[in-house]
Amino acid sequence: MLSYIVHRILIMVPTLIAISIVIFTIINLPPGNYFTTYIAELQGSGETADLAKIQFLEKEYGFDRPLWQQYLYWAGGLLHGDLGYSFAYDLPVDKVVGDRMLLTAVVSITTIIFTYLVAFPIGIYSATHQYSISDHLLTLLGFLGLATPSFLLALVLLYLANVYFGISIGGLMDPKYLDQPWSWPKVVSLMEHIWIPVIVIGSAGTAAMIRRLRANLLDELQKQYVVTARAKGLHPLKALFKYPLRMALNPFISDIGSLLPQVISGAAIVSVVMSLPTTGPMLLSALRSQDMYLAGSFLMFMASLTVIGVFVSDLALALLDPRIRLQAGRRQ
Amino acid sequence: MSSNRLDPPGPPITRRAFVGHSLLLSTVLSAVPGAAWAALRETPFFADAVAGDKLPRVADRIPAEPAIVDTTGKAGGELRMLMATPKDVRMMVVYGYARLVGLTPSLKLAPDILKAVDVEAGSVFTLHLRKGMRWSDGQPFTAEDFRYWFEDVASNRHLSQSGLPVDLLPNGEKPRFEVLDETTVRYSWSRPNPLFLPDIAGPDPLFIYCPSHYLKQFHQKYADKDQLAALVKKARVRNWAALHNKLDAMYKNDNPELPSLQPWILKTKPPAERFIFERNPYYYRVDKEGTQLPYIDRVILSLADSRIIPAKTAAGETDLQARYLSFDDYTFLRQSEDRNHFDVRLWRTGPGSQFALYPNLNTGDAVWRGLLRDLRFRRALSLAVNRHEINQVIYFGLAIEGQNTILPQSPLYRPAYRNAWARYDLGEANRLLDLVGLTQRGSDNVRLLPDGRPMELIVEYSGEEPEEPDVLELIRDSWLHIGIRLFSKPAQLTLFRRRVFSGEALMALDKGVENGLANAASSPWEFAPTSQQELEWPKWGQYYETKGRAGEAPDLPSAVQLRDLFNQWLGTASPDDQAAAWHQILQIWADEVFSIGTVGGVLQPVVVSDKLRNIPEKGIYNWDPGAFFGIYKPDQFWLEPEAGAKSAAAGTGPAAATP
Repeated sequence: MLSYIVHRILIMVPTLIAISIVIFTIINLPPGNYFTTYIAELQGSGETADLAKIQFLEKEYGFDRPLWQQYLYWAGGLLHGDLGYSFAYDLPVDKVVGDRMLLTAVVSITTIIFTYLVAFPIGIYSATHQYSISDHLLTLLGFLGLATPSFLLALVLLYLANVYFGISIGGLMDPKYLDQPWSWPKVVSLMEHIWIPVIVIGSAGTAAMIRRLRANLLDELQKQYVVTARAKGLHPLKALFKYPLRMALNPFISDIGSLLPQVISGAAIVSVVMSLPTTGPMLLSALRSQDMYLAGSFLMFMASLTVIGVFVSDLALALLDPRIRLQAGRRQ
Repeated sequence: MSSNRLDPPGPPITRRAFVGHSLLLSTVLSAVPGAAWAALRETPFFADAVAGDKLPRVADRIPAEPAIVDTTGKAGGELRMLMATPKDVRMMVVYGYARLVGLTPSLKLAPDILKAVDVEAGSVFTLHLRKGMRWSDGQPFTAEDFRYWFEDVASNRHLSQSGLPVDLLPNGEKPRFEVLDETTVRYSWSRPNPLFLPDIAGPDPLFIYCPSHYLKQFHQKYADKDQLAALVKKARVRNWAALHNKLDAMYKNDNPELPSLQPWILKTKPPAERFIFERNPYYYRVDKEGTQLPYIDRVILSLADSRIIPAKTAAGETDLQARYLSFDDYTFLRQSEDRNHFDVRLWRTGPGSQFALYPNLNTGDAVWRGLLRDLRFRRALSLAVNRHEINQVIYFGLAIEGQNTILPQSPLYRPAYRNAWARYDLGEANRLLDLVGLTQRGSDNVRLLPDGRPMELIVEYSGEEPEEPDVLELIRDSWLHIGIRLFSKPAQLTLFRRRVFSGEALMALDKGVENGLANAASSPWEFAPTSQQELEWPKWGQYYETKGRAGEAPDLPSAVQLRDLFNQWLGTASPDDQAAAWHQILQIWADEVFSIGTVGGVLQPVVVSDKLRNIPEKGIYNWDPGAFFGIYKPDQFWLEPEAGAKSAAAGTGPAAATP
């Protein structure tokens, strides 16, 4: 087991190097750089840009050097924990990202908890009451949740919340709390606002989870060991939770890999529509304006979390499921 | 009329008035009784600070020679606005519009921060500052701030690697800069520089001064070496010049520590989602009842995604909003007017045409290039655009149809400029195309190019505005009747420009000329091949911009003529000669149809809270000239403590400019 862990950790290094090259290349694929995009934007709105000053800045930030040198400069900085400089914000990247990370994590973790709380009871109920009327109703509801475009749901909920509850549109709190330190009214305001993004971001995920849990559980429920357990008079709830549900959980554990980066990235499209102060819209605008160090470093951070997340979920699977643990041992 | 007492009665201040006359305040000051001083009122916002001896009394804060404004209002309150990006904090420099010389609502130049300007022969400019004027931190604003900028910033090869700004270099000649006394400076050239005053009055002005007392601590020449090195290290920048440039953000406006002359000063250190601007305690303008301007204590900019701003505006989350609203939001906004207590006004915009087609005369396709350079071909294309239909379908018939040229509000306007080849006449268009020799038609009745290809014209656009594809769709339908098939191709903004610049694009759809409200003193550069940004002749423009190092020399006689007329305009200080050059330029522009206009003067919804007073019912919402709200001087806007009746909101504004 130990050599397996060491092996997995070692293989992360070339993976991350490959990812960093891909990220850097893709960001630099569109023509121009941050400054040309910026000039085009300025001129589009009639403002003039001092071209000589732009040339000076391009030189200052090393845009005149070959791409591989720029890559090495960036990657070298990452190793030192220097995430580079954001041109759009005129600040080091860590200062730009820092503030948004906390709120993103709050939204994401709340969403995940919401998803689990709603999806598990419904999924289990649907599986144990297959083809009953309530199963059909819940299934319909689930498909509606899957099929509704989340940005549309976001707009409708924003409108209703504003008209009927007087909650300010967009954002995670009333604008007047934005620059104040944390206080009780600020938390209340956050609670007032957070439910819309949580429902919107969570709805598709909840629906998908209900379907998957139902399918997995149905597979398990028909297996002989369940029949045996029931025949031996085990309590129906124990016969459900002790073994079949545990087996049905495997796909969710392997999901942890993608869950970690999700916690800090948030749902970009919904966040843009709802104007949430999370990292998603920031990443989107950084990519659009070719703010390459901000976009690159943030993507790199997410990629690292994904790699770590996959590793953690593999370990968790082995711990949870004796079959995986024992098979792995046999092969070695 | 203007609400600024600085305007001497009688003839309006035009450039002509600048020449010869001196606009000295002394004559105006005598009109204000000395009692005005006794009546100076302390701003409630600063009452505590003054009582606690943290701030001097108002009489000691304003200049000895303040600007006295012919208006009244109530001080206090917060103004909320919505912005989309942190970079939008610069809009407070645009809206604030404290300029050495500024435009009045009727678009005339008048001294603002300056007490007076003397202009001799359009080439010697003597600027008179107000005695006792101070920066927002209380330090004096004097000739030293001009000297520091000119000698230690603009002429320093570390800080300004490209040298002086081009607008100070007519024909490449540097100005002679003199400090006459503590409040008087002079710039002189041997030839006229008609760009100087309009530039320092611009929405993103040429700042020829800066807070020297603050910036000297970051300047190699004045600062202690070790201290400066420590500051550079702390800011994580490469050298002192980068630090100085970063902090000297008078237009970018993102340094809360930088002293300013604007009505509201940034108090929030970026990055933030909400920016607070507080009133400048040392502001130089006072109303006629002795209240120091601005009336409004704080301006709050909240950031939201630009696509959600119309919805937030309708929900009443802003007190004054026009940015990020467009005409198609109008009906939606009107619906919420009563529920959320605001008023939606429609102001005219300044571009000569909301959208215009630009045949690329520098395109790489030789066959198409030949055609696009044919005058008759361009005229035929223009005749086959149904402007009335575009106006009715997209703008409810509220826009002004015509070519991409100046608008009726411009003093230079003649109907012939706008109507030239702008009627909808398919018969004449077809006749012209036949004359060009495009008589061969393909199977589907589409004309054939001389080399046998079908006439399929690809029009590229950036897709930044939602109306662009709609306009193109309407033009496509009418062009089919003259045997030309239009295809539209959206591209990301940078890519779009690149394709036009390089000649890959045949034709582009983009905004029309920016300055549809031009007067004789404004630069006619947009109508002559002077910039790569002009999508009808990017390479000729580039040739001019780079002084022949890149691009191509214009080889079309009419384009050469436009360039020569532009140079002629540049070389004169006489308003009559300038107007004459303008009219010749506009006539050629109208005859040659270098760009095909659609509709102009499109209306901009301006959402005004029912509490907000002193803002005109009708106005111009334009970047240059206009500075958006700038020419209406938002320091004069004030807030009714309690939301009053809606009818009271109207009619109290300063003179509404001609829409």
